Amino acid sequence: MKSITEVLNENITGLHYGCRVLLPFQAEILKIVIGTKIITNFSKNLEGACVRITDFYTEIYFCEYKNLAEELTKYEVVKLVVVQQGDDVFDFNKHIPIELVIESKHKLLIKPIPDDLLFFE
Amino acid sequence: MNKNLLLLFFIVIISFSDANSAFAQDVNHAKDTITNVEIATNEAKHELPNTAMVIPFVVLLIMIATGPILYSHFWEHHYPKVSVLLGAIVVFYYSFFLHDTHSLLHTLTEYFSFIALLASLFFASGGIMIKVDKKATPLLNVGILLLGAIIANVIGTTGASMLLIRPFIKINQDRIKPYLIIFFIFIVSNIGGALTPIGDPPLFLGFLRGIDFFWFIEHIWYIWLPTIALILLVFYFIDSRNKDSKPGKEYSGKIEFKGAKNLIYLAIILVAVFIDPNVMSWVPNLAPSPIGLREIIQLSVVVLAMKTSDNEILKYNEFNAEPIKEVAYLFIGIFATMIPALQLISHEANILGDKLTVGMFFWSTGLLSGVLDNAPTYLNFLSAALGKFGFNINVATDVKEFMNTDYIFLQAISVAAVFFGALTYIGNGPNFMVKSIVERAGIEMPSFFAYVYKYSLPILIPIFALVWLVFYF
Repeated sequence: MKSITEVLNENITGLHYGCRVLLPFQAEILKIVIGTKIITNFSKNLEGACVRITDFYTEIYFCEYKNLAEELTKYEVVKLVVVQQGDDVFDFNKHIPIELVIESKHKLLIKPIPDDLLFFE
Repeated sequence: MNKNLLLLFFIVIISFSDANSAFAQDVNHAKDTITNVEIATNEAKHELPNTAMVIPFVVLLIMIATGPILYSHFWEHHYPKVSVLLGAIVVFYYSFFLHDTHSLLHTLTEYFSFIALLASLFFASGGIMIKVDKKATPLLNVGILLLGAIIANVIGTTGASMLLIRPFIKINQDRIKPYLIIFFIFIVSNIGGALTPIGDPPLFLGFLRGIDFFWFIEHIWYIWLPTIALILLVFYFIDSRNKDSKPGKEYSGKIEFKGAKNLIYLAIILVAVFIDPNVMSWVPNLAPSPIGLREIIQLSVVVLAMKTSDNEILKYNEFNAEPIKEVAYLFIGIFATMIPALQLISHEANILGDKLTVGMFFWSTGLLSGVLDNAPTYLNFLSAALGKFGFNINVATDVKEFMNTDYIFLQAISVAAVFFGALTYIGNGPNFMVKSIVERAGIEMPSFFAYVYKYSLPILIPIFALVWLVFYF
């Protein structure tokens, strides 16, 4: 299983199917910004986003979207603040801001958020 | 699906208009004169609409105010249908019961002018990027807000907001607080744009009805200037107490600008505003087409900007056409449903006459502009003020006479519609756009009501009351 840093360095891609996103690492998710929605509630309710961490990947369901590929424009990305599972979630230096870019054929680009993109944790 | 709905709506309006032989005669007659005047003269022959026909307008405005807050899921998915359906009720009533297609075509023409300007400003400014690497200070922030207030009169509150909100956030990234964004909305997205018809949509609607382009700056600058100064003073006081910053961080002081060709597009849009048969005699009158040469130019700029804007800049701006799509759908409903409201208000104001004071116009235009959208509210009260003096809002010569003889009423309505648009998120189009950009950056903004009671009521209302005391009491 790759770490978040390895995935970012090696440009490994994730997957997306409809409202589901699969990330090839195990991560605690602290915050997601999708469109104008700021999601910090990852409890089991059906609003916002539902997260599941398996032994092989982390998956997120965006419950209010039918199909991310159709609802996000080509200039829009999903922004997240994640922490590698097992790392100290209370250490701000371990918080990694990443962006997910929806590509065709279910491909999901995973990149660090560039400095010039506006994003606040 | 939604695009088809909108297209069908336009086709229905135009076909009704074409089918009306009386209108065809009017158009032939109008070719040598000012079309609006002729149409309006004929319009006067039609009977007044039933009061119940104001209901679609009221329902639509209530839904615009409450939809995003109380039933956001339904609203997000169905607002285009709601807007077009409510508009269609009025179109049907005017076509088959009043047999008044003149008002419909006149409104459709106005809608195209309105949306062509907003869309072109939106797409052109979306392809411009400004990056500033400077340390934020209260004085620098005041300077940016003042600059925004000034350029809002050249590229519209929409263009200025789109252009400046990102650098403003970036500069303040280590000390970002909601009040910074709220003051940006107050000054750049609203009050700043009170000096020209390009500044704010209500004034552009007034310009389309016949008010001179430079009337606004001549009659509003001396109210604009102290109001902006007072709000900036309050901002400076609050911002000086924000001591958050990243210790030891170095700034290059560099200002980077990209997207120069889009500045040319903005210039074209600005020049196109004057390309009107009523302003320049050489401009061909394309009636009965609801789209004139000005709109063709502005819509061409939209296509050009979409095709030629730099991808890197669009990505930096996270460009998304959703906000302008929302405005296009909502305003087709607003423009259609407000036809009976405009006619009835004008009629009632004619009867009430002397009882309506300038102060009443100031507060009622203002408060309704804050909770409804300021563009239709402006037209309603402009219609009422004209009616008070026996003028008709649909007659350009009436509007011009009113502009010169009873300017204080026009001034009060114009000031109130623009200034009070800052009272809530729904008061003016750019307010929501700024909120949307800020939330996409992960910054939590105050709720609808928190915005009002924490910021608008304690800061704006006392300043607006002062404006009223000094100028309209």
